[in-house]
Amino acid sequence: MIDKNYAHPDALVTTQWVSEHLSDPELRVIESNEDILLYDTGHIQGAVHIDWRADLQDEVIRDYITVERFSALCEKHGISNDTTVVFYGDKSNWWACYALWVFRLFGHTKVKIMDGGREKWIAEGRHLTRAVPQFAHGHYAQIEKRRDEEIRAFYDQALAQSRGARPLIDVRSPAEFRGEVTHMPEYPQEGVLRGGHIPGAASVPWKMAVNEDATFKSHEELRAIYEDGAGLKRGDDVVAYCRIGERSSHTWFVLTYLLGFENVRNYDGSWTEWGNRVGAPIEKS
Amino acid sequence: MPYPAKLNQIIELFETLPNSEKREALISYADSAMRQGPKDGETFDLEDVRKDEECTDSVGVFLKISPSSRGCTFRVTLGPHVQTLTKAMTSILCKGLDGLTPEEVIEVPADFVPRIVGADLVRQRSQTVYYILTRMKSITKVWMNRQRSAQHV
Repeated sequence: MIDKNYAHPDALVTTQWVSEHLSDPELRVIESNEDILLYDTGHIQGAVHIDWRADLQDEVIRDYITVERFSALCEKHGISNDTTVVFYGDKSNWWACYALWVFRLFGHTKVKIMDGGREKWIAEGRHLTRAVPQFAHGHYAQIEKRRDEEIRAFYDQALAQSRGARPLIDVRSPAEFRGEVTHMPEYPQEGVLRGGHIPGAASVPWKMAVNEDATFKSHEELRAIYEDGAGLKRGDDVVAYCRIGERSSHTWFVLTYLLGFENVRNYDGSWTEWGNRVGAPIEKS
Repeated sequence: MPYPAKLNQIIELFETLPNSEKREALISYADSAMRQGPKDGETFDLEDVRKDEECTDSVGVFLKISPSSRGCTFRVTLGPHVQTLTKAMTSILCKGLDGLTPEEVIEVPADFVPRIVGADLVRQRSQTVYYILTRMKSITKVWMNRQRSAQHV
């Protein structure tokens, strides 16, 4: 059941809700994973696959696709401007939240996350299929430009956040935050030259926001973590970061949709930019 | 350096496949990964089961070397959280390196991975596809070092 105390409870749906809405023509289910082949091994019936790298990022420059390509991507999957899109995936919905955040960059606001993601769907013994659905092309009127300034932070803005002593949330593991390791636990090194964190950042690992079954914690529990624990206040201008922006998308979703913070930006350049940047100030503790 | 014959066959097959079939073939190999573990009653010269800090789950590598041909047989166990691509590579390597001598295993270059998987699937987050080969070489080196030490006693 979804906690009705969340700021935007409609942004989160249960596996049961998804299973009851699979044939809703106004709805599209999108699977987005870290495991590149996971969708091909079986997915929710009618779900399409969007890959965080191949579909959402520019192949050459470290940035997102153009508005033209986003419209084409949506149309290919039968998504129109008024289609409600439900995201789910592996890793407690890291990449689902990332894909949702990217959809928001392009102004698509009818978005939801399936609570518990792929893990919960499978744990409940729900049906998976290898059949790839085909949808009639949608019509997606492209927006004029991406809305980076609303929910995305760049290096200079993260630096200003640090210098201005405004809230910066580091969602990586404590060992990464302290600079003891330059890779995520259980992951290989991803090419970062320096370890540590942005000066002034508070460590609030993304994982604190989820239960064992990958569902989000209750509103009250989240409020205790981010407001009582990390000291965030309503109205704060918050920037969250991790290594490449997927774990911080997860936290961005929590702060924005579940707790109702209105000014949260995801610094997707994150530590792979900061930790390699010449002259970037670093704190270790 | 040329690839071992069995591995080369797999590489050549993958190189002829269009992307969609390549994915299907990888899934098929991934599906058979759980059958690459030790069989009932099998014994091994060396066993190395561990979970490295950089890896999502535990990986066990088991090595048996034929006393007559010095041919290697590998068995591999994988934890449930290992990525699909790594599972596929496990099956491919168990088949592709089967029967090679320890010296030949050590010499197998890792540059075949993108030829099988396709460059678009090899990413920083999927570098663990190389991990299984590294572990196989590592256990083989340990066996060779022990053999050398035993000869000098």
